[in-house]
Parts: sequence; structure tokens; C-alpha cells
Amino acid sequence: MRVIVRTFSELCVTVGTLIVLFVVYVLFWTGVRADRAMDQQIDRLQDRWAEQSLATGGDGKGDGDAPLLARNVAPYDDGEPFAVMYIPRFGFTWNKPVLQGTATGTLKKGLGHYARTAQLGDMGNFAVAGHRRTYGDPFKDFPELRPGDAVVLTDGTTWFTYRIDRKPYRTLPGDIGVIDPVPRGSGYRGPGRYLTLTTCEPEWGHSHRLIAWAHLDATQPVEAGKPGALRR
Amino acid sequence: MYGWIWRHLPGNAWVRALLSLVLVLAVVYVLFQYVFPWAEPLLPFNDVTVDGQ
Repeated sequence: MRVIVRTFSELCVTVGTLIVLFVVYVLFWTGVRADRAMDQQIDRLQDRWAEQSLATGGDGKGDGDAPLLARNVAPYDDGEPFAVMYIPRFGFTWNKPVLQGTATGTLKKGLGHYARTAQLGDMGNFAVAGHRRTYGDPFKDFPELRPGDAVVLTDGTTWFTYRIDRKPYRTLPGDIGVIDPVPRGSGYRGPGRYLTLTTCEPEWGHSHRLIAWAHLDATQPVEAGKPGALRR
Repeated sequence: MYGWIWRHLPGNAWVRALLSLVLVLAVVYVLFQYVFPWAEPLLPFNDVTVDGQ
């Protein structure tokens, strides 16, 4: 009898410890790992961009005469980073890599670009998903987005400044129309260069999704320096 | 359970304590490296896309 009671209580203590460890893992350790992975992705991008600018002459003039939006638009490689996103509303130092695809493993290393949506800066809808909680909490402050907020991206050659057009919109997980070329529910009427951000809602749940829409406001080559939205 | 493990560890009390610590660390490592990464996607925090992936 005593052995049974003792073993049972030991099991209870073990399960309790397991749960505490798991909570530590989800709340803390995934963040540590994701921050490291995201820094690594940004480093890789910057290395690649540095190589590219060397390869293309990098004399400061380059192909400056070429029209901005007729850039080289090779398809993005799945699971690879191709841009860095800055959202001043989330903090001045907030910057995250954007990777191609929305697979679970990809979203652990940064924000994920929906593979079938437009490319950065192109006509159509450039849609990006990100974690709201766990894995570094990239979109933790998502509900704070307000009309006029800047979402700035760079692909190493160009700065793209998008402007949020309305407060975050709450919808159901199956509402694929929100990442259409002309997003449903956004209030946009005609085709344009749009950006859609998606994350989960409520914060710790998965019953809904939170959506933010923006339109392309300005572009400038990286040689021209950071866009106004990122200057302090 | 833990008493059984303790009795089957070799050495005196100090060696046993040290071995227990190593065992605990090994278990935590396996949990963080293999078990929790497997279990975590079963929780709802990963559903951030709108196409039900």
C-alpha cells in the first residue's frame, strides 16, 4: 500500500515538473531559439546582398537608370529569406526576416510569405504570416497597428514603404479572400500594390485570424538611404 | 520509483548525487531537444495563416 501511494505521488510530482518545463519551453525557449534563428537569417541575407552588390560592380552608380519596379524578379526559393521587414509601431529596433512559404518550420525562423501571392512591391497582394505568440512573438503588438503606420521592407536593392489603411480586421481561418490580389473585406476597390499581414487571434488561440492591410506608398533604392519612416 | 533509481546507482552518496544530477540534465536535454519540439505544434499557437495550413 505504502509503495503504491509513494509511486503515485512521485508520478504526480513528475507530471507537474514536466508541465512546468513545457511551459518554460513554449514561453521562453522557443523565443530564445527563434531570436537566434531570425538573427541568423538576417545575417545570411546581408551577406548575400553584400556579395550581390560586389558582383554587380557596386560602384555606387550601378544600374541606377533602370526603372525601379522593373527589377529582377526571380522566384523566391522556398524556406529561404529574401527580405527584411521593419514596423516602427512595434518598436524602433523591431526587424524580422521574411522567408518564402508558410510551413511550420519556416515560420519558426521568421515571417512567412504566402507562396502564391505577389512578390514584394509587385502588382497584387504581398501577403505575410507571422507568429503572435511563441517563437519570438514577432506579431505580439499586432492589434496596435493603426491607419498610416509604416511597414517598411527591403530586398537588398530597394526600400518599400507600405502604409496601413485600417485597423486590424478579425476573420475566420478559412477566409482565404483576405490575401486575394484585391483583398476581400479590405475596402480596396481596384488592383494595386497591396500588403497583407496575418496572425492568430485571440492571442493564445486559433479560432480566428487577425488581418492588416497596407498599400505601397513609396519606393527608393537602398543607395538613397533609409526611408523617412525609419529615421528617428 | 526515485528510491529505486537511487538504490541502483553505484558509489557513495556524493557520487550518486552527481549521477542523479547528470541524469536529470540528460532528461531535460532530451525533452527540450526532441520531445517538446514534437509536442509544441499540437498546440494552437502555430495557426497564423488563413488557408488552414
